[in-house]
Formats: sequence, C-alpha cells, structure tokens
Amino acid sequence: MTADIATLHSYLAVAAVLVGIGLVGFLSRRNMIVMFLSAETMLQGVSLSLVAWGRFHNDLGGQMLVLFIIALAAAEAAIALALVVTMFVRSGKLDIAAWQDLREADQPPFEEAEFPPEPSDEPTAWPHLAPAGIEPGSSDEKEKYRPAV
Amino acid sequence: MIEPPIILALAMVFGAVGIWLLLPRGTGRGRAAGAAFALAALGAWASLVPGLGDWLSNSLFGVLAAVTLLAAGAMIASRSPIYSAIWFGMTLVGTAGLFLLTGAEFLAVATLVVYAGAILVTFLFVLMLSQPEGHTSYDRRSWGAVLAAATGALLIGVLSMTLTAVLRGPATAAAAQQNGESAAYYPLAQLGSELFTRYVIPVEVAATLLLAALVGAAVIIGPGRTHPEP
Repeated sequence: MTADIATLHSYLAVAAVLVGIGLVGFLSRRNMIVMFLSAETMLQGVSLSLVAWGRFHNDLGGQMLVLFIIALAAAEAAIALALVVTMFVRSGKLDIAAWQDLREADQPPFEEAEFPPEPSDEPTAWPHLAPAGIEPGSSDEKEKYRPAV
Repeated sequence: MIEPPIILALAMVFGAVGIWLLLPRGTGRGRAAGAAFALAALGAWASLVPGLGDWLSNSLFGVLAAVTLLAAGAMIASRSPIYSAIWFGMTLVGTAGLFLLTGAEFLAVATLVVYAGAILVTFLFVLMLSQPEGHTSYDRRSWGAVLAAATGALLIGVLSMTLTAVLRGPATAAAAQQNGESAAYYPLAQLGSELFTRYVIPVEVAATLLLAALVGAAVIIGPGRTHPEP
C-alpha cells in the first residue's frame, strides 16, 4: 500500500521537475521554437502526472486524458508553427524580442547588450606549405579521352 | 542528519545557480560549473524522494527519470536550437519509457509516434527552413535568466513540498486502501473499447478540433486573397 504511494510520489516528483524545467525554458529562452519546445515539456510533465494518478486510482481516465492531450498538442503545434513561420517572414528572425512592441505600456524596452562575438573554431593563421614535387604532366592519350569523361 | 527542509532549500539554491550558469549568457564560461551545481541539486533533491532511495529495485525508473530530466535540462541549456530539439526528443523517449513502466503502453507508443515522429520533425523542419546557420545572437543570450531560474527552482521546491505534505496525509492513505492491493493492468482492447463507448463524444470533439487547427494553420500561413473581390 505504502509502496503504491511511494511510486506515485516518484512519478509526481519527476513530473514536477519537468514542469519546472519547461517553465524556466519558456521564460528565459528567446528563440520561439525553443519556447514552444519548453511548453511541450510542460505538457509532458502534466501527462506523466495524469498517468501516475490514473494508475494509483486504478482508473483509465488518466490515460484517456493524456490521449486527448496528445491530440491537442498536435493541433497546438500546427497553429503555433504557422504563427512562428508568419512571424519569421515578417521580422526575419526567430527572436521573440523582435515583437517587444506588444509589451505592456509601462514596461521599459528590452535592449540588446553588447557582448563579444563568439570565438570561431578556425585558426587565425593557416600553416604555410612549401611546394614540393613535380607537376603531373598530361599525355596525349589522356587528352584524347578527357572530353568524353 | 540534516533536516529535509534544509536539504530542499539547498537543492533549490543550487539548482537556481546551476540553471543560471547553464543558460546562455554571452560567454561559455561557467557552464561546466553550472552542470555540476545542477547535478548536485538533482542529487540532493532526489535523496528526499521516497522510492528513489532504493536504487536496486527502482533502477529502471531511476535511469528513465534521469534520462528524462537531464535531457530536459540540456534542452533549455543548449545554445543551438537544433540541439534543443534533439534533446527534447530524448526527453520524449524517457517519458515514453516511464509511460511503459506505468503500464500505459499505448500512450508510450503514441508519444513516440505522434510527438517524436510528427511534431518534433515538424519543429526541426521549420527550424532548418528559417535558421540554418548556427548560434545566433538571440540564442546565445537569454533574457531574465536569473529570475527565470529562481522561479523554476521555487516552483519545483513548492511542488515537492506540497507533494510530500499531501501524499503523507490521511486522505491519500485512505484512497490507497480503497483502491486495492495491486495496480490493475489494463489490456489495450479495454482502452480501445472504453475510448469508443464512454469517451466517444470527446473523440468527435478532438477530431473536429484537429480539423479546425488544420484549416486554421492553412489560413494563417496562406498567401491570402491575391485577387481583390469585384
């Protein structure tokens, strides 16, 4: 009996952390796609808690509700991606800060702080190789077949 | 022995600091320290959850939960959105495994097929259409990282405390008594028959909703009326 409660507790705890991580991602990330992925993570957490409760109560209702959540998530993703693509066509980037004109009237605008560019992986100076060997010559036979290749 | 609320508070602080360090802040510095902080917070928090302590009997659940949570953390922490999407796929795999462990095998398969197979691929499709190059400036710098990390850690802490308080209460024990000894196993056929008898109206509503979403997406993204009405 208590084992059942412990199982339920474990599943609900994992679900709570999933919801929390999704919330952090949705609040802090600025890429619209990542924001929607975070929202989907929150949905996953809720689904997990519903399935755990359904198992605890020996009821199929939890699984049914998750089934409808999946269908709803598909509909939500279709609408959200259509909106994201439209907004990308208008502003040219996936940055949600490009739409900050829609904020509350008394909120200060978000200003992009200057920060150094990302260090690139390419070396600053390429090694210099001295030319060596002889240039390969061209034979008549090769020239004869070259246009056919 | 440290009191559980102190461990929980420490885990919340560590988790907030770790998540703040992991979020893109313009520099790549401190990300390893952030991962260490977040792992320490996860460990301290997991030690409070009963049922996670017995690793041998719950090793499968532990592995699946760790995969799910670590992948979710890596999803919000990775700078490249493509990697975020792939880490989200890993989260889905972990969640599907947890569903399977609970006995909801149809939901596990549906999660993999619908989420990872259709929704995630659509996300990746849009991502690669609109942002094929690597880290952009808005992916490298998140906004409100401090507040967001604090909010998330606070939410997780409050939810964990509430869970402990509720699940140790008398009402839950009474419900467990009432529910019987063993968790029932539902065959797939029963799920299907239940879906199309008791829940047939919601199925129709969901179908209508999907159709409406389809038409709506087409209307939103369509070119609009090119020829003016006469």
